[in-house]
Amino acid sequence: MNHRLFRLLAAAAVLAFATSLAAAPQIGQPAPDFSVVDTAGDVHSLSDFAGQKVVLEWTNHDCPFVVKHYQPGNMQDQQRMARNEHDAVWLTVISSKPGSQGHVSPEQADELTRSRNAYPTAVLLDESGDMGRAYDARVTPHMYIIDEDGILRYMGGIDSNPSRNSDDIPGATQFVVAALENLAAGRDVDPTVTRPYGCTVKY
Amino acid sequence: MPNCDFMNRSLSLIWLAIASLMSSAAALAWEQGPVQRDHIEAELVAASTSVQPGGTVEVGLRLLPDPHWHTYWKNPGDSGLPTRLNWTLPEGASVSDIAWPYPEALVMGHLINYGYEGEHLLPVTLSVPDHLEPGSELTLRLAAEWLVCEEVCIPGDARLELVVPVSADRPNPDPVHVSLFEQARQQHPQNVSWPARFSTEGSQLSVQVEPDQSLPVDRLEVFAAVENFVEHAEFASVTGGNGQLLIAQPLSPFRTGTPESLPMVLVDRVGERAWRITAEPGSLVSDGSLLAPASQTGWLLAIVLALAGGVLLNLMPCVFPVLSIKAMSLVSGAGHDQRRHGLAYTAGVLLSFALLAGVLLGLRAGGEAIGWGFQLQSPWFVGILVYVLFALGLSLSGLFDFGTRLMGMGQGLTDKGGMSGSFFTGVLACVVASPCTAPFMGTALGVAVLMPWPMAMAVFLALGFGLALPMLALSFSPALARRMPRPGPWMDTFKQAMAFPLYLAVVWLLWVLARQTDANGLAAILSGMVVLAFALWLGGKRDQGPTLSIARHVLVGLSLVLAIAALGTANRFQHEQGEAPASAWWENYTPERLAELRADPDQAVLVNMTADWCVTCLVNERVALNSDAVRQAMTDNDVVYIKGDWTRRDRAITEYLAEFGRNGVPLYVLYPRNGDEPKVLPQVLTPGLVVLALEQL
Repeated sequence: MNHRLFRLLAAAAVLAFATSLAAAPQIGQPAPDFSVVDTAGDVHSLSDFAGQKVVLEWTNHDCPFVVKHYQPGNMQDQQRMARNEHDAVWLTVISSKPGSQGHVSPEQADELTRSRNAYPTAVLLDESGDMGRAYDARVTPHMYIIDEDGILRYMGGIDSNPSRNSDDIPGATQFVVAALENLAAGRDVDPTVTRPYGCTVKY
Repeated sequence: MPNCDFMNRSLSLIWLAIASLMSSAAALAWEQGPVQRDHIEAELVAASTSVQPGGTVEVGLRLLPDPHWHTYWKNPGDSGLPTRLNWTLPEGASVSDIAWPYPEALVMGHLINYGYEGEHLLPVTLSVPDHLEPGSELTLRLAAEWLVCEEVCIPGDARLELVVPVSADRPNPDPVHVSLFEQARQQHPQNVSWPARFSTEGSQLSVQVEPDQSLPVDRLEVFAAVENFVEHAEFASVTGGNGQLLIAQPLSPFRTGTPESLPMVLVDRVGERAWRITAEPGSLVSDGSLLAPASQTGWLLAIVLALAGGVLLNLMPCVFPVLSIKAMSLVSGAGHDQRRHGLAYTAGVLLSFALLAGVLLGLRAGGEAIGWGFQLQSPWFVGILVYVLFALGLSLSGLFDFGTRLMGMGQGLTDKGGMSGSFFTGVLACVVASPCTAPFMGTALGVAVLMPWPMAMAVFLALGFGLALPMLALSFSPALARRMPRPGPWMDTFKQAMAFPLYLAVVWLLWVLARQTDANGLAAILSGMVVLAFALWLGGKRDQGPTLSIARHVLVGLSLVLAIAALGTANRFQHEQGEAPASAWWENYTPERLAELRADPDQAVLVNMTADWCVTCLVNERVALNSDAVRQAMTDNDVVYIKGDWTRRDRAITEYLAEFGRNGVPLYVLYPRNGDEPKVLPQVLTPGLVVLALEQL
């Protein structure tokens, strides 16, 4: 690579740092708003759910890491726990662009919910990827928890063991469960940020 | 036709059953030779055709993904999983960890993966048991798991087996795989112990490295070898100069902490060379000498030095007079209580040091760029110290009786006969010692501040213990106490003589204060000292009658209030930032001036927020901003250079820092010509980096 060009790129990378900081959502700050259509054609915004906790789950049903948590029912259990015990809204978000892995039609998405016995409040079809980019969602599954006041309280992985093996689930800390329990008990969420592991979101 | 449909369905069910039987059989059996899985071929291979009992041999997992598919390095980057090896070995055999070849940065949309495309080998070194008989065979079994991805990812695994003959002869390289092993060896980074330090200020990883050879800076690639720490998608920038490499990369917003040490791999792909460095927290100063001894030995050395320094502190002009007189009273006091007094005194010293260190470390952890000596930034603190030392000096000179009257909290409490008296002597020792520690030990303690906090705290406590040690020894050793001169009339002379070092300490503090205030402020505080002396003198007088007594007490009280008011007045005369000298090539920061410059669309501006006590700021100025190259670039590109001095807290500058989410210096902001968004430069600068940024305006 041309000497000068490389240095230009390097400097650009350094300077881009300020912008990248602005892009990433921050714990303790208002979560980015969104306006995305669900499988029934209804538009959902974050502001619609003021007064309720919101869990965001980025997904791609063909990703092995997503399968890891759906196949033994771990994700579905957490959806039920969040909605039934914590009165939370659970939004499953698909940011795969049309034609890429994980992209589904509304009918296919509903069929996946049925066949996997999943229990989200709604499945959002973020074909443009705008919502995913606003949250800096990188992988599937990538999890976020927003409190009743619209403040981001948790972001990161679904659990503490970045493996693709379902057998590893029982030994791992389930971060979303722990965060919801801490919030319910009026405690601080800990950890607030963890490593999101999985497949790249197909923007 | 329904029948046909039924037939088809049965057939497909049978096929499914056969397929699943076959695949489960395949999953259970150990397979030899290359095996094919989805989008990847895998094989367990050895570097030689035979093994020698008691010898070592390189073996490894050979992976050949389909074109454009990849597997992962030990830090997979933004997504993915490293390949995992699980060995089943004959008794007595063992394998090393994977000697990971350096990876490639693979772009996945807006994210980056670290991994391997094309044929690659993950080698380990196998130690062959020495009880093997020549002529027998060694069987190695490897359960390997990987994730192979293009855009989509497919997890895979294989149970691989390799049988190698055992021979007493020297092993011969296996001609089939020799080049593969050779390539893996070449791509394995060489472990080097180059001094390297990293910091994470401002969500930015800055690493300073001092290589022992010159490196091709322009084409060096950098890979952090820990997961989930740096922002992989923002390539690290590498610059060089002064025999140092400077690596800067934003940190991941999803990082969960800071590693205790940071392994990184530097790759010169063209030269087929790579190095593995380990950076410790801290920084290197620009002349190359180490500023942060983060190693175990460095820390122990710092402890020993601090202890010795603490003992030396007893001789400092601010401390010695106070302590020598306390020592006298201790020696002449009742025998059996001496030890308890000594312990109470030590506790007082240690607690005060712990408190001071706690405040300092807490502020640093909160992002304040302060160093030791930060206490002296507050004119209030310095002013009170001036009063305390001056009062102590006057007392020794005999202007008033030691402690019979109100005399400032520390001294008043030290004269209570009990344990609390000795405890507060300890506190006083720490208070009067602190102005002395700043100039004499600032550098050493500055080092401690960069250590992890438990280590830093230990260094501070060692310093305090050193300070307490002579008095402690005296209280515990009657033999030592007997060596002390007998009390007698000479003590009065000694006391009076001891006042003079205290006056000198007062002069030093007044000088510090003069840098923070101006002539008016200095006059105010000097008047305050006179009023204080008056109050102390009057306070010690005998009363002639009730009316006079009331008048006297009112006067004393009034004088003390006046003295404090004088301090407040001194504080209001703050040192005006002098106009930048006419020859200077920068201007002083004011919000108005910056707004004026920003209003001009043709004007580019560089703002530097700095402070005298900020080491990073000074190093950056010396190394980068004041360099000829940068000055030339500023002139060539017609950039106005503005400097804000935060040595004293300054509201306008604090507000400016807050605009950029900072609460400390340094901060470097570059405003482009056309009124675009300002750009924040990294906190560690090199001339190259600044020049480049200036040229891009």
